[in-house]
Amino acid sequence: MTTIDFQIRYFEDVDPADEFEEAAQPTTDSVIGWLTVDAPRRGWTGEGDEQPDLPRTRFIDAELALEQGLPGAIVPGAMSMAILTKLVTNWMGPTGKLRSIEVDFRRLVLHEDSLRCIGLVTDTLEEDGASIVKLDVYMENERGERPLQGTASVELPHRPE
Amino acid sequence: MTVEPASEAEAAFEYDESAIGVDVDVGSFEITREQIEAYCEAVDETNPLYTDEAYAQNSPHGTIIAPPGMLHTMPLSQGLDPKLQVHFKSTSFHAGQGMEIFGPIREGDSIQARSQVKEIYEKTGRTGRMVFVVRRISYVNQDDAVVAAIEHSFVNREMGTR
Repeated sequence: MTTIDFQIRYFEDVDPADEFEEAAQPTTDSVIGWLTVDAPRRGWTGEGDEQPDLPRTRFIDAELALEQGLPGAIVPGAMSMAILTKLVTNWMGPTGKLRSIEVDFRRLVLHEDSLRCIGLVTDTLEEDGASIVKLDVYMENERGERPLQGTASVELPHRPE
Repeated sequence: MTVEPASEAEAAFEYDESAIGVDVDVGSFEITREQIEAYCEAVDETNPLYTDEAYAQNSPHGTIIAPPGMLHTMPLSQGLDPKLQVHFKSTSFHAGQGMEIFGPIREGDSIQARSQVKEIYEKTGRTGRMVFVVRRISYVNQDDAVVAAIEHSFVNREMGTR
């Protein structure tokens, strides 16, 4: 667990070309955790109960992934996007509002990949009375690839006068 | 320069056109504390708005809220309906995804999901022919407020060809 510096981020303190980053390393256990978020509702507590039956998929089964021509079990795209979303929600602080985020999945994210999640401020503007920060967001892996690349839009508060 | 010979892949893909633009109810779910905790553990989420009750009570939301990405983990009763019945010799991959957030999702909220196929199109890239299917899922809470929408694009492509 990493702790985050959770300060209010004000619009006035953000400039184009500002950069921020976080590290991430999704494991097979975390992928199983992702796929079973809804398990408590189905009565599985993870303590002494049987693990819910997970379908055999390329997300947890390396053998099946290999059969499908993949180099190994892959991290679900939505989970990779969630990890990149976390970069932005951590950065924007408790009063920032994430308005939108969109990504392209360009390369596979494999279990145990060492990922750098990077955000870059591309614009700051006022839009319909709201102060908006536009970001480029992407992930880099240790193979020099950018498996996810996209943009996000965040609304930040003004610093009180 | 060589010209790729025509192959079976040249055959037009087929799908059920009547499914485009039709809103389909894909289920409802409650946002529970247990799910929020399980989600936060899976993606190593330490944001106190999602994890710390005392902190959250003093936040603008007044209560623990769900991380936006959690919507992706909620089961939709009919999977990725409406079903298009795409017939194209291929494997399907997630090509892209976008999310718009219109309001907070609080612990205890009851969320209804509606899905529609927005578009389907074909493209030829470096690796061959690809068929893209774009779906949009809207999430509505118990007060009839649309809290979020997710658009995702799946690509059907042939494996093992260049």
